[in-house]
Amino acid sequence: MVMNNIALGRYMPLDSVIHHLDPRAKIMVLLFLMIAVFIPAGAVGYVVIAAFIVVALFLSKLQISYALRAMKPMIWMMIFLLVINTLVIKTGTPWIQWGWFSVYSDAIYQTLYIVVRLMFMIILTTILTATTKPLDLTLGIEKLLKPFEKIGLPAHIIAMMISIALRFIPTLIEETQRIMNAQASRGVDFENGGLKEKIFSILSLIVPLFVSSFDRAEQLANAMEARGYDPNRQRTRYKVLKMKTKDIFGMAMSVVILGVCLGIWIL
Amino acid sequence: MDAIKVSGLSFSYDGKKDVLSDVAFSIPKGCYTTIIGHNGSGKSTIAKLLIGLMSPKQGSIEILGQSLNEESVYKLRDHVGIVFQNPDNQFIGSTVADDIAFGLENHCVPQEQMQDIIEDVAGRVGMLDFLNSEPTKLSGGQKQRVAIAGILAIEPEIIIFDESTSMLDPQGKASINEQIQKLHSEKDRTILSITHDMEEVAQSEYVIVLKDGHVVLTGTPMEIFAHEKELASMMLDIPFALKVSKELTKEKITNQEVCTLEEVVNQLCQLKSTI
Ligand SMILES: Nc1ncnc2c1ncn2[C@@H]1O[C@H](COP(=O)(O)OP(=O)(O)OP(=O)(O)O)[C@@H](O)[C@H]1O
Ligand SMILES: [Mg+2]
Repeated sequence: MVMNNIALGRYMPLDSVIHHLDPRAKIMVLLFLMIAVFIPAGAVGYVVIAAFIVVALFLSKLQISYALRAMKPMIWMMIFLLVINTLVIKTGTPWIQWGWFSVYSDAIYQTLYIVVRLMFMIILTTILTATTKPLDLTLGIEKLLKPFEKIGLPAHIIAMMISIALRFIPTLIEETQRIMNAQASRGVDFENGGLKEKIFSILSLIVPLFVSSFDRAEQLANAMEARGYDPNRQRTRYKVLKMKTKDIFGMAMSVVILGVCLGIWIL
Repeated sequence: MDAIKVSGLSFSYDGKKDVLSDVAFSIPKGCYTTIIGHNGSGKSTIAKLLIGLMSPKQGSIEILGQSLNEESVYKLRDHVGIVFQNPDNQFIGSTVADDIAFGLENHCVPQEQMQDIIEDVAGRVGMLDFLNSEPTKLSGGQKQRVAIAGILAIEPEIIIFDESTSMLDPQGKASINEQIQKLHSEKDRTILSITHDMEEVAQSEYVIVLKDGHVVLTGTPMEIFAHEKELASMMLDIPFALKVSKELTKEKITNQEVCTLEEVVNQLCQLKSTI
């Protein structure tokens, strides 16, 4: 039920060129393209970015439906945006005029503009998270943040935090399911009932979940310490990253796109 | 030198009721020791104190001749490893291989050696086919195997097992116990095993019996098993092999009581050859 939505942003174990790219390269590409998306480079810019996304999506062997599903939670936001924009923006040519209610062209353009940007960003992030194992992603982030360690940013601690969080998401989902079943077997109804019943049933889920999570966190910290983890000490790493030609090529492509967008904007 | 020396150790979780009171024992280097006791007798609490996760209310702990305190704890942890009772909350990596690697990373094992070590220890606990599995897709016993693999990879000087084979099937238990025995006999590691398995107790060299936070008996397995009535009052049983051996000596078939199946079989074989 509720849990199925979490499929979003999950790693898809396929075998594709994109999967085998260096996580650092993929993060950099994402970064460059995100910047490009925000440069007002008009239709040409968007076509270039869209072309890149289509190629990347194709190479990643991900199903189009998977990428589209990632967009589903956005529909409400888009509708909300559209309503607000039609009510607020009253410039451009009026397209509809019914008494007090009017829709202007700029409202529609403005909405489309934001929606396209959001779509690009979501698809790009989806491609990244679906083709990169969480642990590789963390490792990539850690390595990219490494230079900032000199100014006091604890890159390896941040990376450890992210990877522990990622490791425990499935466990917490499992736990939630278990508590829901346990409470349901004691007569708590999660599906029906009025507001009061709903609040009660959610509380009956949240409270034990918190208690067990804190307990788990303590035991986990104990286990980490007992196994010799000391955040202030040097550690070796099991996974190493190696940049290959295709990684450089990918990053170069995204830099070119960023350059094109910048060029159009400035000229 | 003693591997572990504990004296006058008291501990309380809530500051009111003492979970451990005046516990004292010492374990020589290279000794295979077992701790037994009823549920809630304080066994896991001792384990947590020995690895320095909590500090005692009173008393002192010495590990390898060094007193355990705030300063020495990180250094001493390089020499002490533990496998906890609950396998769920000690699985830190997101896959089996990553979890075994976690300990190696902390102990600064060079990267080039890691893959070989991981495959070797995973094979020894029968988890080689699961190297890329996530913890949520493993059973409790499989997670215990991974935790044990993690310690085999490090091979610290002192290893504490807190009921770490409780979820294994009989065959798995036997093969893991064999691995532990090997660490003890071949690598001369000090083993401290908390267990309810009397067959394992019979195989150890030294036994500590705990009751309500007190040490009530210490000695070799045979010395401990001589207090059959007292053990029974603590819900502890003597091993099956010893029961058989007792009957055999009562019937004057053999003349000495022994407590492992192996020894009983040996006695009987010798008997057969003398007939
Ligand atoms: N985190 C804790 N907070 C408060 N009390 C605790 C905690 N852990 C254990 N205790 C209490 O301390 C006592 C000893 O617990 P401990 O876990 O050491 O027992 P044990 O001998 O390992 O038992 P078992 O055979 O069931 O594993 C118990 O009475 C228990 O209720
Ligand atoms: Mg215990």
